[in-house]
Amino acid sequence: MTRAAVAFPGPGSYGPRSLGTLPAEHRWVRAADAIRADLGLPPLAEIDAADRFDPAVHLRPANGWPLIFLAGLLDAERIADDHEVVVAVASSVGWYTALAAAGVLDVADAFRVVQQLGLAAEEPLEAGPTAELVYPLTDAAWEAVPDRRAAVDAALEHADDGVVPALELGSHVVLGGLSSALGEIAATLPSVTVGSRTFPFEAAGHGWHTPHRALSAARAREGLGELRWQRPNVALVDDRGVRHTPWSADTSALAEGALVRQPSTTFNFASAFRVALREYAPDVVLLPGPGASLGGACAQLIVGEGYRGIRSRQELEHTQAGRSPILLSMRR
Amino acid sequence: MTWDRVAIVEQQLDRYLESAEPASARLPADAPLTEAGGLTAGAALALFEDQLTSRQLDVAARELKKTNRSFYTIGSAGHENNAVVGARLRVDDPAFLHYRSGGFVMARARQLAGSTPTLDTLLGVVASSQDPISQGRHKVWGSRPMWIPPQTSTIASHLPKAMGLAFSLARARRLRVETELPSDALVVVSFGDASANHATALSGINTARYAVRMGLPMPILFVCEDNDTGISVPTPEGWIASSFGNLPHLRYFLADGELDEVWTAVDAAVEYVRVSRQPAFLHLRTVRLWGHAGSDAEQSYRSMAEIARIEARDPLLRNARRLVELGVATPAQLRDLVRDTRARVQAVAEEAARRPRLQTTEEVVAPMAPDHPDRVAAEGRRPQVNTEVRVGSFGGHLPEEATLPTARTLAGCLNAALADELLRRPELIVFGEDVGRKGGVYGLTSGLQKRFGPARVFDTLLDETSILGIAQGAAHIGLLPVPEIQYLAYVHNAIDQLRGEAASLQFFSSGQFRNPMVVRVAGLAYQKGFGGHFHNDNSIGALRDIPGLVLAVPSRGDDAARMFRGAVAMAREDGRVVVFLEPIALYHERDLHVEGDAGWLVDYPPPPDLLLPGEVGVHGATDEDADVLLVSYANGLRLSLQAAKRLADEHDLRVRVLDLRWLNPLPTDAIRQHAADVGTVVVVDECRATGGGVADAVVADLAEHRVGRRWSSVRAVDSFVPLGPATAAVLVGVDQIVSTAVAAVGRRRTATSNS
Repeated sequence: MTRAAVAFPGPGSYGPRSLGTLPAEHRWVRAADAIRADLGLPPLAEIDAADRFDPAVHLRPANGWPLIFLAGLLDAERIADDHEVVVAVASSVGWYTALAAAGVLDVADAFRVVQQLGLAAEEPLEAGPTAELVYPLTDAAWEAVPDRRAAVDAALEHADDGVVPALELGSHVVLGGLSSALGEIAATLPSVTVGSRTFPFEAAGHGWHTPHRALSAARAREGLGELRWQRPNVALVDDRGVRHTPWSADTSALAEGALVRQPSTTFNFASAFRVALREYAPDVVLLPGPGASLGGACAQLIVGEGYRGIRSRQELEHTQAGRSPILLSMRR
Repeated sequence: MTWDRVAIVEQQLDRYLESAEPASARLPADAPLTEAGGLTAGAALALFEDQLTSRQLDVAARELKKTNRSFYTIGSAGHENNAVVGARLRVDDPAFLHYRSGGFVMARARQLAGSTPTLDTLLGVVASSQDPISQGRHKVWGSRPMWIPPQTSTIASHLPKAMGLAFSLARARRLRVETELPSDALVVVSFGDASANHATALSGINTARYAVRMGLPMPILFVCEDNDTGISVPTPEGWIASSFGNLPHLRYFLADGELDEVWTAVDAAVEYVRVSRQPAFLHLRTVRLWGHAGSDAEQSYRSMAEIARIEARDPLLRNARRLVELGVATPAQLRDLVRDTRARVQAVAEEAARRPRLQTTEEVVAPMAPDHPDRVAAEGRRPQVNTEVRVGSFGGHLPEEATLPTARTLAGCLNAALADELLRRPELIVFGEDVGRKGGVYGLTSGLQKRFGPARVFDTLLDETSILGIAQGAAHIGLLPVPEIQYLAYVHNAIDQLRGEAASLQFFSSGQFRNPMVVRVAGLAYQKGFGGHFHNDNSIGALRDIPGLVLAVPSRGDDAARMFRGAVAMAREDGRVVVFLEPIALYHERDLHVEGDAGWLVDYPPPPDLLLPGEVGVHGATDEDADVLLVSYANGLRLSLQAAKRLADEHDLRVRVLDLRWLNPLPTDAIRQHAADVGTVVVVDECRATGGGVADAVVADLAEHRVGRRWSSVRAVDSFVPLGPATAAVLVGVDQIVSTAVAAVGRRRTATSNS
């Protein structure tokens, strides 16, 4: 039996190719849509069944986050018996999928959380509109470029307080904050072209994982009422790289992290993934859907760690093409 | 039936968990184990996890050893209750840990997000260059972010510096030196029951108590992990309690029994130190499982029955039983945890074994002796002091204004240089025996305490080990210590503090921890009227032999001031440990050739002028026509200059004299260059002939590089230095230098004429 780590993806993973993948009749989908109906939201089954991908619909947190949750959880359910899952990590709001998959919250409660937080992320902010700025920290060969990290750190030092690294992926950093402040930072970061994309790349963002969302998250919590938090049935590594095990996990710390800390502070996926590799030594990394976009970050973190002797992009690609790939996407 | 004790102990736990019955009621995570205790069920389970991980790290190290993939099998098995200390302290409580500290480190790592203690430990075991602390140079417990400076801890030589750091916490705050540690931080230092007998351990403990008596804060927790044994030698029953249980100024706590009882005792000890800022001695009862190390055949000195009795006291077994009986966990849960931990650590061990190792000499020595002369020179010039402040501090007259005939002695120059560095560097502290009120046995620190206050210039107790321990501890947190050791012979009383500890810190921590310092030592022979070996010791081999240690030996006052500034800058910029060896006999010397000639007085070079290793002094015939090159240092320089005059007057020889100034590293480039110029070389070495002095090194280097034509040396006799006029019978004298030089030149002429 192989030792498997599972990495649940976050926002942006539900893309055009994800359309039509949700089993409308599955009990989780139906239960989710019942909850959404109470909130006056359109059914996910319908949104997933759309003919074409509409960013305004499918990337809306109130729709996109629940879609990510269900897709990830459904994939987790069909992890084959020949894998022993020894640890789970997540990127951003994929954490709620991980909580459900590990049994920390039951599926309905976890869904309510992700749904409410998705709505909270859409609340207009008095301070103004928010955005995200994506910047690469590695080169085309996946080697770290320390100058880029230094440039980001220097830019943040002079930036508005509300601008923070929202998501640390290792390969990239996603800065979050008010559009106005991010515009200033974008102007100070050296322009970098990787493939066809030029960075810094500004994307739509909701201020999630930044201090701007502390109040929105607090309001969402009020709407959630009492939740029943359990110890996970598999080790989880959270947004700061802290391990929570089936035996000793502190459920109040899990609750606080999920509902208070994560909405308003940096989500460090790079740290979480690195801890999973170093402390759990998985044979494979399973990548549930939707999409397979987290695979790139995972691949670069494996190379950065020199995990299993894989120390370059070329070596990783060689491993992936061989008989025992280390990264197994569940959506190919 | 197996004789594999690892398997037997593992099976003992398995058998218990297979056969145990769950408690009738489960204890909630936030409920305490017992009504009186503070340990909750959740925290107890976390501790048990850490203890299991520690145990499996020991198992993994031994498994890897079977296939020659690990290099270290001294384990923590049986000591895992030290995890309680790790859990009860904070990551910003500096920890100096002995080698059975797996539980402590696992528990402390739990407090640091993103930490990976399992792989980190195994990377140390397999000597991987990715080991985050030593990078493959040693298996040590250490971590920069967790404030665990690495120790080898085999001879308890880490206690004095732990005490030094505890002392320095309040001192640094008083001097407004940033330490990155909170004001209520405490220091923990652990050691075994056998190690408690080491002189260094007793030094550290004694000085901690002395500090209390002196009214000084000393927030340190001594943790004696008592497993009743030192390798194969049993510790007498009750030895630790009877030795340390009733000492004044040291509160004793006994931690024994079940997990929750240990927690209660540790909690009380930590709280006592945290609040009172006074030292405590925590006597933590443990057992030692599986021998001293993997290679130790315990059966050769213990009966099987005895071994089995000890194994029955396995703390993991006892803790598992406690957790089950109190309803903290079910046997099935613990079985899962044990199985999971074994598989996890084994998998991580396989990963560790794949990681790279150090390959080249350059990689090994990289952090040992950072050497950035340009940066050091720039650093040495950086601190500026307003002239008015200097004038005020020096009582209205700057030392450089005093010129002949009132120019300065070596002692006068060093006193002024110390004052200038104290003025320029608020983090610099000067301390040692008699340096405060008395101003030093020879007046070197005269007036400094009055000028800079007792917080910066202070007397210590008479214990060289503790003086160097204070220096190390102070340097760990940003102070710049300039301790004084009163006589060179006394360094040998404490030399391991330099060799095994201070000089090795950057090596074993890959430069992440440093303890910069300039250790002033009064030494060497030729004192008039104060004889005998212990005040005239001329053995420097033990210092020259320490990897990475800088050894500065000035001779003239102006050099001494500039070299001292160089030494301080090296310490500050490159974190170096510098021994500044001052020739006592020249401290107050005024003359060179004849009484009253004032040839040994100099003008004081004002800051920031400095000298660095490699920069030698050149005297006498500097052109290429010189007949002989005398290479010397310290008293030997003055003797060589006297000899040079006689060689000129009586033998018509032109002599160039080279002052090495730095004996570690030796200025080999300069020596070779001058030797090539002159051809005939005589090394004048006032230290013992075969004592690791510089003569062997200089002559060997010139010979191996075929530089020069003739190499000779004069050296002191291999003897202790006797009392009274008999000293002349063992020390180098001018006559000897003259005759050796004449003979060398003669031989050269002969050799030339024969060719």
